[in-house]
Amino acid sequence: MNYTKKEIKKGIKLHVLKTDKFKTNLMAVFLTTKLERETVTANALISAVLRRGSSTLQTQEEISKQLEELYGASFDCGIDKTGDNQVLKFYIETVNDTYLPQSNENILKSAIDNILDIIFHPLVENHAFKKEYVEQEKKNMKQRIEGRIDNKRRYALDRCIEEMYKGKPFGLYRFGYVEDLNHINEVNLYERHQQLIKQCKIDIFVSGNINDEVETIIAENQNIKALEEREPDYNTESEKNTVKQGEKIETMDVMQGKLVVGLDVNSQSEDEKYNAIIYNTILGGSANSKIFQNVREKANLAYEAGSRYFKYKDNIFVNCGIEITNYEKALNLVKQQIEDIKNGDFTDEEVENAKKMIISSIELIDDEQDTSITYYFGQEMSGNEKSVEDYIERMKKINKEDVIEVAKKVEINTIYFLRN
Amino acid sequence: MQVIENSKVKEKLYIEKLENGLTVMIIPKKGMKKKYMIWGTNYGSNENVFIVPGENTKTEVPNGIAHFLEHKLFEQENGTNSLDTLTALGVEANAFTTNDTTAYLFYCTDNFYPAMDELMDYVQNPYFTDENVEKEKGIIGQEIMMYDDSPDWQVYLNAMKILYHNHPMKIDVAGTIDSISKIDKDILYKCYDTFYNVSNMAIVVSGDFEPENILEEIKKRLKETKTNGKIQTFYPEEPETIVKEKIEQKMEVSQPMYTIAIKVKPTDKPEEMIRRDIAIQILLELLVGKSSKLYKQLYDEGVISGGIGGTYEFSENYAHVLISGQSNEPEKVYHRIKQEIARQKQEGLSEQDFYRIKKKIYGGYVKDYDDIENISNTFLTNYFMGINSLDYLNQIDNIDMEFIAQVLNDIFKEDKMAISIVKNEK
Repeated sequence: MNYTKKEIKKGIKLHVLKTDKFKTNLMAVFLTTKLERETVTANALISAVLRRGSSTLQTQEEISKQLEELYGASFDCGIDKTGDNQVLKFYIETVNDTYLPQSNENILKSAIDNILDIIFHPLVENHAFKKEYVEQEKKNMKQRIEGRIDNKRRYALDRCIEEMYKGKPFGLYRFGYVEDLNHINEVNLYERHQQLIKQCKIDIFVSGNINDEVETIIAENQNIKALEEREPDYNTESEKNTVKQGEKIETMDVMQGKLVVGLDVNSQSEDEKYNAIIYNTILGGSANSKIFQNVREKANLAYEAGSRYFKYKDNIFVNCGIEITNYEKALNLVKQQIEDIKNGDFTDEEVENAKKMIISSIELIDDEQDTSITYYFGQEMSGNEKSVEDYIERMKKINKEDVIEVAKKVEINTIYFLRN
Repeated sequence: MQVIENSKVKEKLYIEKLENGLTVMIIPKKGMKKKYMIWGTNYGSNENVFIVPGENTKTEVPNGIAHFLEHKLFEQENGTNSLDTLTALGVEANAFTTNDTTAYLFYCTDNFYPAMDELMDYVQNPYFTDENVEKEKGIIGQEIMMYDDSPDWQVYLNAMKILYHNHPMKIDVAGTIDSISKIDKDILYKCYDTFYNVSNMAIVVSGDFEPENILEEIKKRLKETKTNGKIQTFYPEEPETIVKEKIEQKMEVSQPMYTIAIKVKPTDKPEEMIRRDIAIQILLELLVGKSSKLYKQLYDEGVISGGIGGTYEFSENYAHVLISGQSNEPEKVYHRIKQEIARQKQEGLSEQDFYRIKKKIYGGYVKDYDDIENISNTFLTNYFMGINSLDYLNQIDNIDMEFIAQVLNDIFKEDKMAISIVKNEK
C-alpha cells in the first residue's frame, strides 16, 4: 500500500491510499470541529439533513436510486468524538470497474461528485435548508438521542464518560441534546452549515486501486474549488479531567447489571501512550487478560468482562455484565487486578503475548480500507507521522518495566453501575 | 483438489473431500496479510433429537447443548484453555453457534501453523469434567441474561415463537438457565461423539496460501477416526400455518421495535434455495428498500425514521422472511407492508426498478469477497446446505421478472405473516 497526503488548500487535506488488494474503492470525507455545548446538536443534525437531498439529487429517493445505479454504491454517515472534537464522517464505497460487466462507466467519479454535492452543496430554498427536511430530522434526532437506552452496554459506557467529564467537552453526547432541538430551524441550521464548512478541518480520503486521475477529479470538483482556505477550528489538545467523580449508581429496567470503571492513565507524553496500549491488553484487552481470567474464568461472574483504551483521552474503561448482587465482588476483583499489575504481579511472557496480539492487529490495518483510513486520520489528528512499520517497531520495544511504569500512574476516576 | 473459478469476481475455490469424509475448502487471497481458518460441524441448536451412532433409540437432549458444547471444547486435559493458548500466540480466536452450525475459528498474521495445531487439537480432543461443566453454567447464565436485556434479540426470538408451532427455531440458541442446568458431561460427550465426526464437518481456510500445502498440513493434523455414516436427526412435524399473528413484549426501549415475519415452506434443493434467496433480496428492496415508494411514504409521514431491514433465513427444514425496524406505529408499518405487497402483486413490478436493484445486489456480492472472514463463514454454512456460494454470481443472471413475480405470489402470503413487537410499558 502506498499512502500520500497533501494539502489541497490550507486546512483541507487529501489522503490517497493506493492498494490493489480490494474489489472496492472507498472515499471518506471527515469534517472536524470543536466539541462544544452550543453547536454539538446542530452539527449532528446537519449530517442528518444533508442525507435528505443535495442540489442535484434532491430527495432521498433520488440519492438511493443513483447509488443503486452505481452497482450498489454504499453511502454512510456517522458522528464521532475524536478527543475534544466532533467529527462528521461521510463514506461512499463503490465496486472497482474491473469487476463490473460493462466498464465504460466511471463509477468512482460519479460517486465522488455525488458525495461532495451532498456535503457541500445541499438543497437550499430561500437561503435556508428545506424546512420539511429539517423539521422531520429534528423529530428523528430526538428519537435517536432517546434511543441511547436501547443498547445497555453502550449506554452504561456513555454514562460513565459523561460523569467522568462533567462540564467538559468530552462529556458531551455526540448526537447532542433534545432540548437544543427546539431552537433549531431551517435558517439557523443552514447558517451553521455554511459556517462549519468554512471553518472546519477537512480531510478527504480515497482508498483503492486508483490512479492519479483521482486527484484531478477532486481538484476540479466545483465544490472543492469553492471552498476557501482556513485556519481550521478544532482542538489539537484535549482537556484532562481533574476531579475524581467517585461512584455513580443508576437504575433502569434491566435483568443484568452493567459495571463500568473509568480509569485515568496519566501518560506523561504522547509516546508513553504506546506503553498504555500494552498495559490495557494485560489488564482487560484480551482473553488472557487479568480481568477476563479472574472475573469470568475463575469467579464465573460474567460473560462479558474486559477493558478498552481510549488513546486520545488517555482513559481506560473496564466493563462487565454481572448479576446485580455481585456488584461488590466484581468491583473488588477489578480493583485487585489494577493493584496486582502495579505490584508487578505479571510475567514477561504476558507482556510478550500482549505485544504479539497488538502487533498482529497493527499488521492487519492495511487489510481493511476503513481501518486504514481511521488509522491515518488518527495520525493526522495526533500530529504523528508514524507509518504502520514504525508503529510496530515502537511496540516491539516495550518491556515489563514500561508496563509497571504505566500501572503506577493509573487511577480510578469513576465507577458507574447500571442496575434495576 | 477440484478448482471452481469465477471470472466475475476473479476468485477461485479449491475443494476436496478427504477419505474420512472431511471437506476442505481453500480460498486463496493474494496480497492479504490476514490468514483465516474456520472448522465447523453441521450441528447447531436445532439438532435436539437424534440417534447416537450404534444405538437404536432416539436421544433427546436439553436445549442449548450445542452452544454449551462450543464453550466447553476449549478446555484441555492438561488444565489449559485453548482460547488462552491461541491468544498467547497473538491470534484472535473465537467460536459461534447458530441454529444449524457450530464453528471454531481464528485469524492471524503470524503463527498460523502453531494456531492450526491448537485449533485442530482442541476440536478433536474434548475434555469434560463435572467441575468444568458446572463452572460454565455461571458464565453462560450471564450470556443468556445479556440477551434477555437485548430488545433486538427478544423481538426476533418472539417472531420465531409465533411462526413455529414445534420446530426448534422457536427456542433460544443458548437455551434457558433452567435447560442448561440439566446438562452434564455424559450428555456433552454423547453429542460430541455424534456430531463432531469429521464426516459431518468442513474446514475453510483463506489467505495468501498455496492450496495444496494447506491441504497437506490439515491432513497431518487429523486423528485416525472411523466414519460414523449418516447421522439420523429428527425434527417435529411442523404445520405450514403460523401459530398466531401477533406477539408483544414490554421492555425499556426508546421506540417500539418490530419484526415482521413470513413463514415459508422450505426447499432442500440447493439451486432453488439460491434462486429464491436472490429473488427475495430483490423483492425486499422493491417493497421496503431505501428507493421504494413505501419507504418514502412512511418516512415522509414520520412513521419510520431509519431503515427497514429485510432478510431471508433458511435451511432444508425451515425458511422465513424477516422485515425489521423501529417505529412508533409498528402496526401501521405492518398494515402498509401488507397493502404494498398486494398492490405489487396486482399492478405488477416495475422493470426499471428491477434492473436497477439487480445491479445493486450484484455489487453487494462482489464487495463480500473483500472480507475474508465473512466469505469463509458463508462458504462454510452454505456448504452444509449443499450450496456453493460462488453459484450466487451465476444464478443472479438467470433471475428474471417472471421468476420474481412468481416468488412474490408464492411466498409473500398474507396468511403466513406475523408481527412481533417490543415496546415500553408506558
